[in-house]
Amino acid sequence: MDIGSFGIYIFLFVGLYFEVFLLISFLEKRPQQKTATLPNYYPSTTIIIPCWNKAKTLAGTVESLLAMDYPKDKLSIVIVDDGSTDNTYEAAQIFAHNPQIKIYQKKNEGSKYAALNYAINRSESDLVGCLDADSFVAKDALLEVAKEFERDPEAMAVAPAMKVNHPRNLLELMQSVEYTFGIFYKKMFDNLSAISVLPGPFSIYRRSVFEKIGLFRKAHHTEDMEMAFRMHANGLKITNVHTALVYTNVPPTVGALVRQRTRWSRGFLENSRDYSYMYFNRKYGHFGVLVLPFGLVAFLGGLYTASYTVWRITEFVSTHVLDMLATHVPPHVSTNSLQWFYINTSMLSFLVIATLGMTLMAVVLGQRIAQTRLPLKAFISYFALFGFIAPLWLARALWDTVWAQERGWLV
Amino acid sequence: MHWQKYILAFVITGAIFGTAFYIAQRIDTQRIADIRATEESISIDILSSETQFELLGHLDCKIIAENPVLSDELNALASRLSVAEENLGATNKEVINLKEQYSLLEIKDYLLLQQISEKCHSKPVFVLYFYSNRGDCKDCGRMGQELSYLRETYPGLRVYSFDYNLDLSAVKTLIALQKLQGPLPAFIVNNRAPVYGFKTLDEVEKLIPELKTLATSTAATSTKASN
Repeated sequence: MDIGSFGIYIFLFVGLYFEVFLLISFLEKRPQQKTATLPNYYPSTTIIIPCWNKAKTLAGTVESLLAMDYPKDKLSIVIVDDGSTDNTYEAAQIFAHNPQIKIYQKKNEGSKYAALNYAINRSESDLVGCLDADSFVAKDALLEVAKEFERDPEAMAVAPAMKVNHPRNLLELMQSVEYTFGIFYKKMFDNLSAISVLPGPFSIYRRSVFEKIGLFRKAHHTEDMEMAFRMHANGLKITNVHTALVYTNVPPTVGALVRQRTRWSRGFLENSRDYSYMYFNRKYGHFGVLVLPFGLVAFLGGLYTASYTVWRITEFVSTHVLDMLATHVPPHVSTNSLQWFYINTSMLSFLVIATLGMTLMAVVLGQRIAQTRLPLKAFISYFALFGFIAPLWLARALWDTVWAQERGWLV
Repeated sequence: MHWQKYILAFVITGAIFGTAFYIAQRIDTQRIADIRATEESISIDILSSETQFELLGHLDCKIIAENPVLSDELNALASRLSVAEENLGATNKEVINLKEQYSLLEIKDYLLLQQISEKCHSKPVFVLYFYSNRGDCKDCGRMGQELSYLRETYPGLRVYSFDYNLDLSAVKTLIALQKLQGPLPAFIVNNRAPVYGFKTLDEVEKLIPELKTLATSTAATSTKASN
């Protein structure tokens, strides 16, 4: 075994270990089905919609909020036009006469956190949440969240289950699979009290969170991740409500996806550095001992595996091309390769199959948890594309972190 | 913190690794058994032909023309050995044993071929190819690819490949008889003088003009001459 493949075995072991750990957690505590019960108390809630050039999708987002089954006098919506250069502010004006809605316009300060804080400072409700202006909530999403806050008085913030809104092209379908196993991951992290991010689409906080630990920070353009880290650092509980569904638009092109994920991945690296004291620290439970270290190993493992694969493919192709040039043997396909004897049956191939199988199981469980069903082409897109695209943002995030490249939130 | 869960996950992951290792080992063992079975089958074929000759005291060239006594499986065996060598390593005792047996079968097949061609006045086309995979012959792999390609293209061409460094007296005797002295790779066409060093496919084809007399195959069966 060469050193390169030894590294692959190490990362596969860690990856499999993590997936096995989550499956054990699933078997220990299975997610409960949605119930028809209503909360005894409807806390007043403010949902902030920070917008930067979201004229096209803003109305749909607001309408989905207005359509929610929640007492109107308990729900306020705050639209913050964060210095848009399109007609977002004009688009928001169609809701200007709705008493539930407030519209603000502010100068862009380079990151989303400022828009959120601007609105939090102008709200007074019991709960404060955020909804990105390209996301849409299910009718009962807030009701489910309210039930969770009532059920668990210790819960200080609640993360929803996110689905991709009408995935159409292959890239969106690929992301729909990702988001589906994200639903499984998030629920299992909830079982472990180790949720690592409170996503922009419809994460809801008790107001006391901000009073105790302060408002959002710039946090390398991942204020939602930093807030989750900070809450763990201060012993504030985060839970997941898999029955609170949010549908979000995802980047439809490779460039946009790579830019978005670069920001997320870099945010993870930078926040990990800022909160490095939590790593392997038993004081922070599974979050410090399992989730954070695994996140870093997954980042490094993804890069390592991609680099090793590229190296091996390059070596294989260049050797064959050089051999062909030297020998003058024309390209030909050997019928031998079709016989079982020549199929690669190394230990590594079985481990890769096991890892892919576990990933597939996570997606299937994610589907069951979120009561959804993905089309076959989504699975094909995921297994065909993800391995090629993900290394691009991992490499770019590492590069940006090492060289301290500032790309901003808006890219 | 529930440390039991961490330990349980470790044990299960270890079990998955162990299972993957076990399955891979079982398949490799199956491959070795497959090669051994093929070698035994070839060995019986050769022994049967030799016994037939001894019983009759002469060769019935007509029967041979209708039912070739030389086994085609010998060609296929080379590439299977190559796979086994790649998976288990060139120093694996089982692999070395199979290679030794394979080399002996090749020599017996080669001798049988000589007998048949002499008595039946046939004109076989064969190549004795000598290689090394100790890392001291960087062109041996390429030469092997060329001969494999030729063998796929011309099923009538018999390529006998020998590991020059194999510690087997029969191979050493063959090397001595053929008076091999130059650098590897080396090959001998139809008992002519040895050719040393790397040659391109075109050059090899020129060195084997008899290839023109052989029928070509459209569905080539690949066999590797070396590695």
